[in-house]
Parts: sequence; structure tokens; C-alpha cells
Amino acid sequence: MANITLTSSDGVDVTVERTVADRSVLIKNMLEDLGETGESIPIPNVNEAVLKKVIEWCDHHKNDPPSAGDDDDNRRKTTDIDEWDQKFMQVDQEMLFEVILAANYLDIKALLDVGCKTVANMIKGKSPEEIRKTFNIQNDFTPEEEDQIRRENEWAEDR
Amino acid sequence: MPNGKKATAPAKPRRDVLASLRMASLEEISRSSLPAEIVSSILDYLDPVDLIRAASSCKLLHEMAYDDTRWVQRLKRIGCWDESDARKHAERIYGTVANMEVVEEQDAEEEASGAVPTISIEKPPGSEVNAISDGFDKIELGKAATQLEPLENEASDPDLVVLEQARSIRGEARQEYGKIHAALAPLYNDIAKSGPTTDNLVFTKYKDPQFQAKLLSQLLAFSNCDMTTGWQGRVDRLEGAVSMFEAAALNEFRNGYETDDIDGLMRKYAHILFALNGGKSALELFIHHNHLVTRKSELGSLSDCIDGITGKFKIQHTQAFFTRLSVAYNEEITTINRVFPSELEVALPFMEKVGQDVLFPFLTAIFDELHRINKESYLTAISVTFIQCMNLSQTLLPIRNSGDTFDQYLDIVVTRIYEPHIDLYLAEELDFFHKGCETTVSDWDRQLSEQAASTESFLMSNVNRQADKRDFLTSFKKVIMMPVNILPSFSSKSNEDSKSDSENNDDGTPKNTNRFSTMSTSSPKPTEEAPTTELAAKALIMKSKMEGIRSLFSIEIALSLVHSAKSSLERAAQFVRLGGTYGKAAKNQCEAIFVTLLRILGHQHVLIGFDKAVDHLSNYRPREQDDRDQSGVEPLVTFLELVNVGDLILQMIDVFYEQELIATRLTDRNDFIDPAVKEKKRFEQMLDERVAAGLNKGIDVLMEEVDYILATRQLATDFNPEVSSDPHRQTMDVGLSEAATAVVDVVSSHTQMLVGSTDKSTLDVFNQEVGLRLFTALCKHLKRQRISVEGSLKLISDMNHYFKFVQTLRNNELLLYFKAFRELAQIYLIDPSDAKELATLIADADRFQGVWRVEEVYEFAERRADWYHVKRDVERAMYGIGCSLM
Repeated sequence: MANITLTSSDGVDVTVERTVADRSVLIKNMLEDLGETGESIPIPNVNEAVLKKVIEWCDHHKNDPPSAGDDDDNRRKTTDIDEWDQKFMQVDQEMLFEVILAANYLDIKALLDVGCKTVANMIKGKSPEEIRKTFNIQNDFTPEEEDQIRRENEWAEDR
Repeated sequence: MPNGKKATAPAKPRRDVLASLRMASLEEISRSSLPAEIVSSILDYLDPVDLIRAASSCKLLHEMAYDDTRWVQRLKRIGCWDESDARKHAERIYGTVANMEVVEEQDAEEEASGAVPTISIEKPPGSEVNAISDGFDKIELGKAATQLEPLENEASDPDLVVLEQARSIRGEARQEYGKIHAALAPLYNDIAKSGPTTDNLVFTKYKDPQFQAKLLSQLLAFSNCDMTTGWQGRVDRLEGAVSMFEAAALNEFRNGYETDDIDGLMRKYAHILFALNGGKSALELFIHHNHLVTRKSELGSLSDCIDGITGKFKIQHTQAFFTRLSVAYNEEITTINRVFPSELEVALPFMEKVGQDVLFPFLTAIFDELHRINKESYLTAISVTFIQCMNLSQTLLPIRNSGDTFDQYLDIVVTRIYEPHIDLYLAEELDFFHKGCETTVSDWDRQLSEQAASTESFLMSNVNRQADKRDFLTSFKKVIMMPVNILPSFSSKSNEDSKSDSENNDDGTPKNTNRFSTMSTSSPKPTEEAPTTELAAKALIMKSKMEGIRSLFSIEIALSLVHSAKSSLERAAQFVRLGGTYGKAAKNQCEAIFVTLLRILGHQHVLIGFDKAVDHLSNYRPREQDDRDQSGVEPLVTFLELVNVGDLILQMIDVFYEQELIATRLTDRNDFIDPAVKEKKRFEQMLDERVAAGLNKGIDVLMEEVDYILATRQLATDFNPEVSSDPHRQTMDVGLSEAATAVVDVVSSHTQMLVGSTDKSTLDVFNQEVGLRLFTALCKHLKRQRISVEGSLKLISDMNHYFKFVQTLRNNELLLYFKAFRELAQIYLIDPSDAKELATLIADADRFQGVWRVEEVYEFAERRADWYHVKRDVERAMYGIGCSLM
């Protein structure tokens, strides 16, 4: 199986197997459209560290069966993450976001899902204040607004 | 966009500056983190409580978290969102699509959605949450303005029906979900935490099992929207609790069933289980432990239905079985109707169970046993029980609410029972019929060969043949058209057949007199008796009339073949209504039976008979026969009778075909590749061919007979009385000669026999041929005679006689010839002195319609007794003086 060379935004070439690279729909389509020219493919939005991280994930998942019916409403969208992915996602928050962005850009649905789930699990059980802290968000509500929201959603209070 | 938003959202200008500042700072943060669609998909993974917390962290998340579609999705998962309801609601409020407001709103929505991908910081500076939600609602086809306070107080506790009362209104999905969550989440979390025990909040808070069931079923639905990590364990626990509850309820239900507490325990717990999860388990228990199934041996046993000694199948006993079954079934149905809630689908599974566990083993046992011992009873049994099964549906009480589908269910059940048997049955049916027919025919052949062919006595009855046939066919039609009720007709019919057989045997060879007595005794019968018997009687009459052709083929055989074909067909045709492949197979088999009938009846019976008759005909030498007292030519008479019978059989087949195959839509008359139609055509064709071949031979024989009569009966003195030595001869005898009478008698009696028995064109051809040959024979005969002037009177009256006969044949061309004959006879009448007149007559070709040339007429003239006297004068008159033709 032929190898593909990818060039990160900081100019580093990374060589990967074709099957690994094919996990990215973006690269896959590009290769199908252009044919294998042997030239390296520039990935302008992703730096070396993140690219390597993404490739690590792709390498581990290269033999996954293609997921079917992703947009099926009846499928239970669970936040369950398999063990390897959980460990893989144990990175600092900046890296996590970078990986998610890279997955989004490279169109790697499964990785994007894992990223989102990881973030969702980070939010889980946190108070609004903690959420703000975690994601570095400022509270832009007035106290009246906060009160309003609380009143609207009394059912969600821990009882 | 910002302007539009501002316009719709009533924001307080005082806060504008501050808000935009805050948003600017938020923009920076958000930009540095994640794009909106990713944030949105992250929110997808949050459970509702976390989602609300996230919503209260900042405005961006608030907007996303409040997104109505998110909550609609949840309601859909729980199963209490009705899209059409939501649409109806929207239409009621905003009018139909033509309404401008809706269009505007759609525009607004499009604008908004176009703005979603990039994080929009320029949110309307909504100072109040109300304002924000208003603006938000607008985008979502909002209905904030139409919030209706739920007015629910029908149940003692609204929690019990919280799912049913959830409304499908766009823009309010979150509120609706909130209600559900408030009601169910505590119970759900309790079970998820502590696992299935009797101390669960559900069981402690609500005492009535009916309520518990209701809540549990709601919790099951609710659990569908639990998607966060560990949901599997929580759902498992809930399911554990449910099954624990179900087991307990089921136990109570069973107690109720065992103690026959139908309206108490059973009814109560059936409803509880129905409320819990549709009541499948109660239904299963009920069906599996059903009294009907467990006590099936009381309904009837195999040994009752089969006569151990003869292997006969006892219809009455299966009927009794079916009656008992229907009674027991109806009892169970009443129970079902009392116990189960009407929404529950009990009909099909219950019927299926009864079909599979009661009917199927019983019938299969019968079929297998019969198939082993007695093929015919096997065939009868299959068909009869099938009808009984179908009849069963009339006696069964319909299960409540099953309505029209009930009959379909029954059909399905019956089909399932019979499916494994149909193929074998159809094959056996055809086989049985085939063998039956062949044995009948070959038996008859054997009997025939045992009887000496010499006993063949042909008796010509002068009764009107056509009327007889019509009469016979009418009763035959009546029998065929009898409504299809195999049940009684089977036994009686077979009796009938055997009865008629025995009667015939008793009759032996009836003589002329007692044949008429049979007729007179049996003819009043038909009016009182059933068509079957009527037919039998008529068959008897026909048979006695057809004595003459007994050695060739028998109408009785044909009748019995048709009978067995009818019963086979009717048995097989029952299965046509099953439809699908089996119906088709049954249909094909019916056609195959018909084809077999035609083949055996046609080729092995009628055909052989015809061949034999034709053989007889061609071997017939009238001069070798000593016995001349018969009025007809024996083999020809036989043959003509045969044509009659053949025609009768053809008509019988035709009626049969019309009634059994066309009327029942087993086959299509216009489908020319249909095997039945093809075979029928072939049969007709074959019959026609045989008739034509036979007639050909028949004409030869007839003419030989005519020649023979002319040669032996025509006395020399007939036309030339002067040479007679009889002293007492009368002068100027103008009567007919004996020979002419005999010839006309012979010919007319034979042609008459064909009338109405074969098709008109054949008959015409036959008549013409007979006429022409008769003409030739007469010409030849005349040239051998010597005719005096005195004898010519007799000749003229002879000729008139022939002419009259030919007139009856209704053939103008033929008439011409005989007209010429009549004219010709005048040649002999002319006095010898008037040679000139004679010459004119001879030369006048027109007079003879161009039938003869002058030379030929001249030849006839030579037959004058006084020819040598007048010859010279005539020739002179014809060709002039001194000129001789010769």
C-alpha cells in the first residue's frame, strides 16, 4: 500500500499509509480526484503536533468498518467512548480543541464525535460557573436573566 | 440581520452599549475555542440537566441549548412528539402557507440559519431574558405568544399521564420536556441508583399496580432519551424493575386464569400488563396455557374420523370435531373479550395458536393416516376439511375490534395449516383421477371383449333424437350447475353412480317394449327428484336407446368420467381461493384434470369407438350380408348413432367446461394458450376428423347399398312393361317402382340421422356428396335400363320421388341435377312418331341446366325401347338429312 506524504502548517512532512490517510474524508476525496501524484499534500490548518496526534488516532482506527447511517434519528447518541479513545483524549484542553478542529477540517467524523463526547463529559455535572471556568467563558447574563433561566427550568434543579 | 433582529426583539436601548461590549469579548474567547457547529454537536451529547446548566453559563450557549429542535428530538425519542399535530397547531395559529406572516417567518428563519455557522456575536442586545426568548421563539416559528396553560386534571395524579398529555407545539418543546422530566426523572434516577427492588420510589409512591404499570411504561419510554455515559446500566436496571413487576403481575394473572376469576384478577392484570408494555406476556401466557389447547384431545380423536376397517373417512365426525372446536373457541373468545383491553391484538396470535396446536396436528394425523390406507378418502378428507375450516369462520365469534381483518386472519391460519398438504394433495388428486378414469375405461374395454361382439344388436329408435339429446343435456346441465356443496353430494353422487350402474345391469339387454316401459316409468321421476337422480334416469334412457353402439363406447362411461372429473375439480377448486402460489397451483391442477378428462375420454374411449366404427364401415360388403330385412345399413347406422353420441359427449364436455372452468373462473376462455382451451379444441377437432372420415366411408357404404338395391330390386318390367310375361299387368302403371322407394328410404333414413348431431357444414358436405353420388348411381342405373313409352310414366314418377327427396336436403345445386333428371325422363315419353320433337329435346342443352352434354342426352335416348325405330328419324332431325354424325 502506497504511502502518502502530508505537510503540516509548520512545514513538516509526515508520511502515512494510504489506509490511514483515507480515514480523513478530505484527503481521501482529494486523492481520488487528483490521483496519487506522489507529491506531498499540504494541510495548512494543522500543525505538526496535532497532525501527528490525529494520525495516531487514524492509525489505530484504520481498520474500523465504515459507520453507516450516522444521521439516523433513531440511533441512540450516547456519550460512551471506548477505552483507547478515552486514553487518547487525555490531553490538555488546548490540544483537545485543536484535535477537534483538525478532525473537523480533515472531515474525520468518528474522531470529531469522540472529541465532542469528551468535551461533553467535561461539562457533565458542572455548575454554570464551573463551565464558564473550564471553557473560559464570561458570564454575559444579568442577574435578572439568570433568575429567569432558573425559574424556567426548575425541573432541572437537583432535588 | 442585526437590524431585523433588533426590530423584532423589543430590546431596551439602555443596555445596548454594555451588551455589545460583552459580546465583543465573548467573540474573542469563542473564536479561540470552537466553531458554533462543533459547540452545538457537543451540546447534543449533554443530558438535559447539564444542558440547562450550560445554558445558564452564557448567552451563546443559552441560545444553542434552547434550540427547539434539540428538545423536539428528545420528545421524539420518548415517543410523544407528533409531527402532524405540530404542523396542525402551527397552521391553526398562523393560517395556511399562503399567509404572509408565515412567509415572513420563514424568511426570518432562513436568515437566522444562514447566520448560524459563524458565531454571531451581534446578537440582539436582549437585556431581558424574555426578550431573548421571544426573539429566539420567533426564529423557531415561535409561539411564545400563544402559550397555553395546561388544563389537565383528569387523572388524580397528572404524572400518570404526563407522556400522553405532552403537546407537540413547536417552540415549546423544552417546556414540555421539562414537565416530563420533572415527573419521571426522580423515579428513573431512583431505579438507576438503587436497582430493581420493591422499595423503588415508583412502588412506594404509588400503591395501585395499575398506576405502577403506567409509570413503569412511561419510564421505559423516558429511558430512550438517556444517552450519557452509563445509560446501558441504567436502562438495564429499569428493565429489571419492569420485568420484576411483570413477573409478579403475570403470576396474579395466571392465578386468575387457574381459578377462573375472569372478570376479577384476570381482567385487572391483563389491563395492568397492557398498560405496562402492551400486554404481550399476558397474551402469551393465556395462549400457551389455554384450556382449548390443553384439552384438545376432548374435541375428537383420530380414530373416530377414520373407519378402521374400510379406511373410509367419516365426514360427520370431523364435522363434530369442528363444531366442538368452534364452541370451545367461542368460549375462549368471550373470555378474551372480557379480559383483554380492546386495543390489544389477540385475534391473530390466538387463532394461530389454535390452528397450529389443535387443528394442524389433528388434520395432519388424519391426512397422513388416510394417505396411507385409502387414497380416495384422503382426497375427500382434504377437501372436506378445508371447506369445514372455511365454514368454521361463519360460526366463530369475531374477536372484538378485529373487524374485517378477522376473515383474513382466518384465511391465513387455514392456509398455514394446509400449505404442507396442498402440493401432495393436488398431485394425488390428478393421479387419482387419471387412474380412476383409466380403470373405468379399461374395465369397460375388458368387459366388452368378454362379451361376444356378436350380441351387438342395434336398435333404431325412431324417436326424435334431437329432442332426446336436448332433454338429456338439460338434466346434465342441471347437475353440473348444482351449487358446489361437496359435503352431501359426494356420498349421494357415488351412490347414484353405482345405483345407475346396477340398474343398467339389471336391465340387461332391454327389448323394444320394455325400453318404452322404462321410459314411461322414469320420465315422471325427474320432476320430483333431485337433478342427480334425474340425470341418472335420463342416462338410463339414453343408454337404452344407444344399445346399438354399446360395443363402441358408452355414454355412461363418459358420464361417470365427467362425474369424477367434476368431483375432483370441485375438491381441487376449493384451494384456488387460497390465492398466491397455492391458488395458482390448484388452478393449474384443475386445468390438468380437465385435460386428463378430455384425453382419456377422447383418445382412449371415443376415439377407439370411432375407429372401430369406421373399421366396420370399411369392411362392410352389402352383398355379403344375408340378412336384408333391416331398413338400414347396419354399420352405417351404428356409425351415425356414434356421431350422435359423440356430439352429445362433446356438448356435455362443453357444458362442463362452461360451468366448471369458465363460470368458476378457473380458466379464461380467451386465453388461447391455456392448456384446457387447447385440449378442448383438440378434442373437438379430433371428433370432427373422425366424423368426417367416418362419413366418407359411410357414403361409400351407402352408395354400395344403393347400387345393390338398384341392381337387385329394379325389375326389367318396371320401365318396360311390354316385355313382361305377367298376364295381369296393369297398363299405364304410374306408381313408383319398388327400387326407387327402397333407395330413397335407405338414403333418407341415414341422412336424417345426422341432422343436429354434427355441425352444419359437415352435414351439408355430406348431403351434397350423398346427392351427387346418388345422381351418378342413378345415371349409371338408367343407362342399364330399357324404357318404353309406357314405362316412362313410372320412370317419371320415380324421378319425381328422387327429386322430392333431394328437396329435403335443401341443397339448390343438387336440386339442379335432379331437375334435369326429371326433364330427362320426358325423353322416353315422346311418341316414336314424333322424332323431330325428340331431336329438339335431345339437342336442347338448356333444358337440362347444362348437366349433360348433348352426346350424353343422346346416350340416354338410346335407352328407349324403340330406339332403333326412331334412331334414323331423330338423327335426321338433329343433323339434317343424309348427314350422319357417326
